Amino acid sequence: MQPAMELVNLYKSIGKKQIIKNLSFSIYPGEVFGFLGPNGAGKTTTIRMMVGLMKITSGDVKINGTSVKNDFKGAIQHVGAIVENPEMYPFMNGWKNLKHYARMMNGITDERIREVVSLVGLEKAMKEKVGKYSLGMRQRMGIAQALLHRPSVLILDEPTNGLDPAGIREIRQYIRRLAEQEQVAVIVSSHLLSEIELMCDRISIIKNGELVTVEEVQNSTEKDERVEVWLEVEPVDKAKAVIEKHHELEVVVHHDKLSMSVTKETIPEIVKGLVQDQVNVYEVTTKSSSLEDKFFDVIGENTIA
Amino acid sequence: MLNFLSLLKNEQVKLYSRFSTWSMYIILASIIILAGMITAIFGDVDTEGYGNDWRAELQAENEQLQAEMEESEFAIHENSINKNNYYLEQDIKPQPYDAWAFTSEFSMLGFMLSLFMVIIASGLIAGEFRWGTIKLLFIRPISRTKIWLSKYITIMITTLSMFVFMFLFAMILGSLLFGINGLSPSMVQLSGNEWEQVNIVKEILSQYGLILVELVIMATLAFMISSLFRNSAMAIGLTIFLMFAGASVVIYLSEYDWAKFILFANIDLQPYFGPGQPMIEGMTLTFSVIVLLTYYVVFLLASWFAFTKRDVAGH
Ligand SMILES: Nc1ncnc2c1ncn2[C@@H]1O[C@H](COP(=O)(O)OP(=O)(O)O)[C@@H](O)[C@H]1O
Ligand SMILES: [Mg+2]
Repeated sequence: MQPAMELVNLYKSIGKKQIIKNLSFSIYPGEVFGFLGPNGAGKTTTIRMMVGLMKITSGDVKINGTSVKNDFKGAIQHVGAIVENPEMYPFMNGWKNLKHYARMMNGITDERIREVVSLVGLEKAMKEKVGKYSLGMRQRMGIAQALLHRPSVLILDEPTNGLDPAGIREIRQYIRRLAEQEQVAVIVSSHLLSEIELMCDRISIIKNGELVTVEEVQNSTEKDERVEVWLEVEPVDKAKAVIEKHHELEVVVHHDKLSMSVTKETIPEIVKGLVQDQVNVYEVTTKSSSLEDKFFDVIGENTIA
Repeated sequence: MLNFLSLLKNEQVKLYSRFSTWSMYIILASIIILAGMITAIFGDVDTEGYGNDWRAELQAENEQLQAEMEESEFAIHENSINKNNYYLEQDIKPQPYDAWAFTSEFSMLGFMLSLFMVIIASGLIAGEFRWGTIKLLFIRPISRTKIWLSKYITIMITTLSMFVFMFLFAMILGSLLFGINGLSPSMVQLSGNEWEQVNIVKEILSQYGLILVELVIMATLAFMISSLFRNSAMAIGLTIFLMFAGASVVIYLSEYDWAKFILFANIDLQPYFGPGQPMIEGMTLTFSVIVLLTYYVVFLLASWFAFTKRDVAGH
C-alpha cells in the first residue's frame, strides 16, 4: 500500500541549531498516527515542514507519493491541517471564516460547508463571531476548516490542548470515524500520552528532534493477553501464599504491594480467592502497555508533561 | 483567474468585516458634512449667482469694494477686485458656488486618504501574522505570490473606493446644500500670479493624481515594512513618522549632493506643475520620476521576497 504520507530522512536546522534530525516514518490511509513528544521535541516544526510553512533543510515529505518540495500545490491539495493553535479571524463569524477558506480551494459548495459544520457540531455557532468561541469550539472550527476539501491526510497539532475530557472524547470520535469510514490518514501530535492513546493505531515518540520509537497501540486489552497486575493487600504474605496456592504464578513482593504477570481473564479469579480467604484488597492496578514506560523514560521524571 | 478573484473577494470581506475600515469612511464623511455645514451657515458663498446684467453687477460690486478700501485700511479686497476684473476682461459669467466648487475643496483630504491607506497596507500582511491565520492561508494549493499580489491589489481597490466615496459624498451633499450647475463646470482661480479659468473636474483629477503618487509610494513602503517585520504597529509608526519627518530630513541634508536621491526629496511632484521649487536645485521631473520608480520597484521586490520566501516559524 502506498503511504498517505511519508517522511524521508527529514532534517531542519535554524541557524546552527539542528531542530529535526533524520526523521523517517510512513502513515497509511485509514490510520490514526500519534506523534508524541515532550514540549520542544520538534513536533510543530516537523508539521510546519509537512505543510510547507517551513523549508525542509534536507530530506523530503511525500504526500500520496508527491513531494512537498517539488510540487507543493500537487501535494498540499490532499492535506488538511491545524498547526499549533486553531486560529481564525476573530472579527468574523464562523460561517464567514469557513467561507473564506472554502474560496481558496476549488469546488467547495455551501452544502459541503454545512456538512463539515454538522460533523463537528457547530451549527448553532455559525452566526457568532469566532472571537467569542471557547477553546473547544475553536478546536472544532479548526477541524472543520481542515476537512472542507475532503483531504486524504489530516494533520492535527495538539488538538486536545486545553480541552476537557468530554471534548477530548468527542474529538476522538470524529477522528476514528474519519479514519475508519473515509480512509483518511490522521496525524495527531500531543505531549500527553493519555490524551491520544485511545485514538491512535500507532504512536511515534520523538525527543530532541529524533525519533525514539514507533509502537502499535493495543487499545482494548484482549482477554488472553498478559498484563502486569499490582495489588495493594493486607496482610501481604498471606496474600502471596493464597495466590500461589490457586494459580501457577510468580508473585513479587514490593513493600505493601504484590505484582505479577497474568492474563486479563484471571484477574477476577485472583481477587475472588483473596476475598474468600479474608485478605483485605485495597487496590488493583494494571499496567497495560510498554508504551507508557517508554514515554516515561523519554520524558524523564522531572518534566512537567 | 477564478482563484485570484476569490482571493480579492476574501481580502474585501476581511477588510469590511472590521469596524476600523468603516470608521475611515465615517471620518471622511464627517469631515465633509462638517465642512458643508460650516460653509452653508457661516461661509460667504454666493449660490444665487448673477442675473442677465452680470457685467453691471460686477462693476457695481467692484466700486463698492473700492470704496470700502478707501474708507478703512483694514478692508483688503484686492483679490476679489482682480478676480472680478478677470471675469469682465475675459467676458466669463461668474458661476455660483455649487456642488462642484464644494467638491474641489476636498483635495486637502488627500493626506487623510494617504494616512488611511498606510494603516490598511500595514495591516494586510501583519494582521495575518498577528491572528496566526497566515498558516491557514499558506497551506492551500495557491502560490504565496498570488496571495501577496491579491493583498497588494487590495490596497489599490480600497484607495479607489475611498476616493469614489469621497467624491460622490461631497457631490451629493454639495448638491443638497448649494445646488449644482451643469456637468462641465469651470471656476476661476489663482494660478501662480495669474487668474485662470479651469475646468473643475480636470482640476480635481489632477490634484488627486499628484496625491496618488505619494499615496501609492507611502502605502507600498508600509506594505514592505509590514511584510519584513510582520508587525503592523511598526509599519504604521515608521511610515507615518517618515511622512512627517521626511521633508525636514531632506532640508537638513540638502547641502549634500546625494540628498536628491532621498525618496522624500522627490515624492512631492507639485512643484514641477505649479508654483514652488523642487526641494533641491537642479532636479527635474524626469529625474524625480525615475527615482520614485526605483524606490517603488525596490519596495515591491523586498515585500514580495519577504512574504514568499521566508519560513513561517513559531513566535
Ligand atoms: N523559529 C525558531 N528559531 C529557533 N528555534 C526554534 C524556532 N522554532 C522552534 N524552535 C526550537 O525548536 C524546538 C522544537 O520546537 P517545536 O517544534 O515547537 O516543539 P514541539 O511542537 O514539539 O513542542 C524547540 O527547542 C524550539 O525552541
Ligand atoms: Mg508544538
